[in-house]
Amino acid sequence: MMDSLHRLRVEYGKDDRLAYLGHLEVIGTVQRSVRRAGLPFSIGNGFARRMRIQFSQALPVGASSACEYYDVYLEDRIDPDEALELLAAATPPGLAPVRAAYVDPHQDALEAWLTRATWDCVLVGQGLAPVAWTRATAAVRAKGSLRYLRGDKEKTVQLASTLVSADFSPSEEGLRLALETRNTPEGSLRPGVLVEAARELLGAEAGIMDTLRVRRVWQSHEETDGSLVEPL
Amino acid sequence: MRAKREDLFPLIEPLLSKVERPSRYLDHEWGACEEQDGPFHVCLVYADVYEVGQPNLGLAILYKCINAVEGMSCERAYLPWTDMISLMRERGVPLLSLECAAPLASFDVVGFTLAHELVATNVLETLDLAGIPLTSAERAEDDPLVVAGGPSVWNCEPLAPVFDAVLLGDGEEGLVDICAAIRDCRDVGMPRQEILLRLAQVPGVYVPSLYDVVVDETTTRWGKAVPREGTGAPAVVRKRCMGDFAGTDPLAQDIVPYLGIVQDRLAVEVLRGCARGCRFCQAGMTYRPVRERPAEQVVTAAEEGLARTGYDEVSLTSLSTTDHSQCAQILHELNAATAGKGVRVSIPSQRLDSFGVEMAGEVAGAKRSGLTFAPEAGTQRLRDVINKNVSEQDLETAATNAFEHGWRRMKLYYMMGLPTETDEDVVAIPASAERVMQLGRRIVGPHKGVAVSISVAVFVPKAHTPFQWCGQLWPEEVERRQRILVGSNHDRAIRVTYHDAGTSLVEGAVSKLGRRGFDLVYRAWELGCLFDAWTSEFRLDLWRQAAADVGLDLADVACEQFELDAVLPWDHTSPGVSKGFLQREWRRAMQGVTTPDCTRDSCQGCGVCPSLGVDNVVWGERS
Ligand code: SF4
Repeated sequence: MMDSLHRLRVEYGKDDRLAYLGHLEVIGTVQRSVRRAGLPFSIGNGFARRMRIQFSQALPVGASSACEYYDVYLEDRIDPDEALELLAAATPPGLAPVRAAYVDPHQDALEAWLTRATWDCVLVGQGLAPVAWTRATAAVRAKGSLRYLRGDKEKTVQLASTLVSADFSPSEEGLRLALETRNTPEGSLRPGVLVEAARELLGAEAGIMDTLRVRRVWQSHEETDGSLVEPL
Repeated sequence: MRAKREDLFPLIEPLLSKVERPSRYLDHEWGACEEQDGPFHVCLVYADVYEVGQPNLGLAILYKCINAVEGMSCERAYLPWTDMISLMRERGVPLLSLECAAPLASFDVVGFTLAHELVATNVLETLDLAGIPLTSAERAEDDPLVVAGGPSVWNCEPLAPVFDAVLLGDGEEGLVDICAAIRDCRDVGMPRQEILLRLAQVPGVYVPSLYDVVVDETTTRWGKAVPREGTGAPAVVRKRCMGDFAGTDPLAQDIVPYLGIVQDRLAVEVLRGCARGCRFCQAGMTYRPVRERPAEQVVTAAEEGLARTGYDEVSLTSLSTTDHSQCAQILHELNAATAGKGVRVSIPSQRLDSFGVEMAGEVAGAKRSGLTFAPEAGTQRLRDVINKNVSEQDLETAATNAFEHGWRRMKLYYMMGLPTETDEDVVAIPASAERVMQLGRRIVGPHKGVAVSISVAVFVPKAHTPFQWCGQLWPEEVERRQRILVGSNHDRAIRVTYHDAGTSLVEGAVSKLGRRGFDLVYRAWELGCLFDAWTSEFRLDLWRQAAADVGLDLADVACEQFELDAVLPWDHTSPGVSKGFLQREWRRAMQGVTTPDCTRDSCQGCGVCPSLGVDNVVWGERS
């Protein structure tokens, strides 16, 4: 059954105020956009008869992105540019699709396949010193793992595998953090968690951070040899 | 000076990361009307959080109607949740509309929908957060005109001082008329007081400030509202009614929310009004007559709406959808039209006697989660008193149909404290649920997940119903009967839930009070009552204190029985149903005599059709 379907991958952004949508809200909105676009989507066999669609990993609420993805399975192969046009006309601008192409239907599930992410974060505030924050982040990393609370659940993330690099540089609004992360089956590192840990370590030395602005700017798949494969 | 109309979203944005569910405050949903050029600006408000208010079909209808008028723009506003309210107050951010993030206080008209009595303190909070004076009397020349409408206007006296005008009945034309009148008056620089006089001339509009409350030997202790001399305000304001309901837009909902809302689906209103005549039901009395949309219109609208919104579920809404003379046909055609698209067709609640085999097979397509029926009372005797013309046999037939067509879960709604209720009636509630359970186990199989639950509300007497004279059951007695209810349920698999007696008590008191109710509502709000319809937020202790502070006792108010010939606090507003009819219905109730449905039998003389110049509109044959 799945062999006869066409797996269309769509790249889209999450911008402006729609950055505040939660992951479930994005999923619901995209599914409705696909329906409005009139694409020949396939419906699952399950009891609930849901659209066959997969999403890239959840963004934290408030984070924007230039590179989100979904794979929707179509019953007929329509021209990807035409699909893109139909979707663009049916999607709120903040989640506008930018590229679309067919991918190998046998590739792993999208969320598991996209293992690398690049983040552009801005710590907005005063007195945020790049040197101190770099030192603190290195110290956090040296601990090997990081425990944090998500809602009221305690979670642990292994930094050796999930934190690829973190570079701080001064910015007009405070401090800029260029962050590379890796998703592993055991977990992934959210920028906010790392920043919070560094801030805690720094204490009074941290400076005053009003807000943390997070944007995912790139996602890719990492092969076993370390080479990176673009989603499209 | 009217507040300046400007985009203040930058004041809200920094708060978004600090609150629960920021998507409540985003706007920019698919289908929202972002072009808001005015020059006449209206903001419609549902005084609860976004996810509760957004599905309200009435607001969606009016939003569309006003935005369709040249020169008028309509935006939405909801009451932020408490976390956001605190932040806004802390930083001095006023309540804003969604579309343009403009201060509510900058609008020409602010319109509230009154969905139920427990929204009262939220209305005050909304206005206060907006920086709009709470009462009509305090508003300055330039302040917005604050109007209200909706299902709960039928005793609006406890909020009467708040509103400059209240619209009774259907709003499609009524609200546009109100807005047009205000616009025209403002255009010629008419003073506010004269605008109010002018509004009192618009059919269906009640302008509370033009009426005095008079207490005399003909009234209850809450008095009656009498138009002040020289104002020209009508002694009785009659509701607006869209006789040609099928001529209205069947697709009111354009906006597709981001947030999972309470009813996250496309709604098509298939009919308006219900003539079953249940004697406790305010909607049944106030939305008459019955006006169906023809089947083709419903089917076409649903298909078009699904394509336009991208929803995967369509709900055929009304007070009683299975009563639609073409219901089975609609369900059948809609299922055929949406086959293979993963779309569900649902109906909100089912009438026991009209939920036939045909419908059982068609509702909710592939996903048959739960079904709800409302027998309302446990015994035939009491069902006759309330004119719920269903029998134990109807319940068993409907349950059999449902179980045979794949349903597993069934929810049965009842009421407690109905006039003449005895312990025997209470005990009969779990007994009939047990029979349904046994049926389910027999048809579906003993361990196949059949679930039956019963939910028992406290009966609250409502204005303009045959039970409007009744007192509510005393709270201690409610609690005693609730214990009997739970104690007489012998099947542990049947889940019994009942409404909180305290919430019902406040609802009952606010439903009964005349204009003095405003003191109570105001004091409760001052003490911090908010989101009273939310179990997590409701504070009976504060309501009791508020009542004591203004010299009232909630139970004493709610449980008082009125004389059958007394002039009631809401008699100056009329849904068209005559008081004589309601009195007759009360007497028949006491005799246990039922009254038939005029869409299936002859006219029962309720008075609506002749007084409003309308008729029942039924396209097929009602069985
Ligand atoms: S006037 Fe007669 S026909 Fe019209 S709603 Fe009332 S009972 Fe029914």
